[in-house]
Amino acid sequence: MSPAGIVSRIQEAGLGGFALTDHQSARNTPAVAECARRAGIAFLPGLEVQTAEEVHTVCLFDTVASALAMTDWVYEAMPKRVNDPETFGDQPVVTWDDDIVDMEWRILAMGCRRTIEEISKKVHELGGLYIAAHVDRPNYSVFSALGGIPENCFDAVELSRTADSSIWAPKVEGYAITRSSDAHNLDDVAKVWSEADITRFDISSLKEVFLSKSLQISPRLTKF
Amino acid sequence: MKFEELAEKVQGTVIVPNNGAEITSVYTGDLLSDVMGHCGDESALVTVQNHLNAIAVCTLAGVEAVVICHSRPVPDDMREAAEREGVGIITTAMSQFAASVALSSLEPSVK
Repeated sequence: MSPAGIVSRIQEAGLGGFALTDHQSARNTPAVAECARRAGIAFLPGLEVQTAEEVHTVCLFDTVASALAMTDWVYEAMPKRVNDPETFGDQPVVTWDDDIVDMEWRILAMGCRRTIEEISKKVHELGGLYIAAHVDRPNYSVFSALGGIPENCFDAVELSRTADSSIWAPKVEGYAITRSSDAHNLDDVAKVWSEADITRFDISSLKEVFLSKSLQISPRLTKF
Repeated sequence: MKFEELAEKVQGTVIVPNNGAEITSVYTGDLLSDVMGHCGDESALVTVQNHLNAIAVCTLAGVEAVVICHSRPVPDDMREAAEREGVGIITTAMSQFAASVALSSLEPSVK
């Protein structure tokens, strides 16, 4: 997925904004931010942090600088083992026009030693939002790893593209519900989405939408 | 112990065979970062982690057989990765403790 490829797919789908949340790293957010800026599409940089509890959690920020600061802090607590591309794939860091400038050496598929509570504190210190990822999934979710949602940590919860919201809404009562594609390839980009009536796609608007629960989510996918 | 004998000991169903593989030790764990940090090679991993990343960790650690407890289903992408990487998969109705006890003639796996 090249930065330009993602942005043009977002444009085709008619979405007003999007976020890039690679596993454990925001190192490709500068490239995607630049492509989004050139295309005039709203973009939030972020990362999906795998916590010490082996739960996937999404961090969103207004600025690339904050997302990169979060990445550095996560990297400090990552295993020092070097990635084996044959097992986990290549991990290129690219420019906006898709030149490879570096290969990330850490194994980004692995978790970090930071707990959900520590990460929540750090995300909020950096002015970001913290979302429990794909809470409906049987692996790497707050429910699968912990049996529930830790209190006072998350700003919202995310449902995966196939989750039935009528089943999940009662289980996450009190939390705003988002749905996002979690796309790992271009075909999956924008297959599902979340909607809200906002004038700016930024952290403060999203925070307001989460607090007022004025977010609508797209229908789930039943086949793909 | 050979893979086939291990499957019998946990009264398991072989999902991906690794026949003839010699297994000398066992590690039991559901936290994959812990497994990667401590599990050695020529080993069996007793776990409930029924997903693709579990196979990646097994490949790095040198695990010959994964024993998936509580009869958790094995998704297609996990099965395919195991076939590709030469890691055997066995499912069993046993708990992690029961499966570990059933394999107690093997050594504890260390890195």
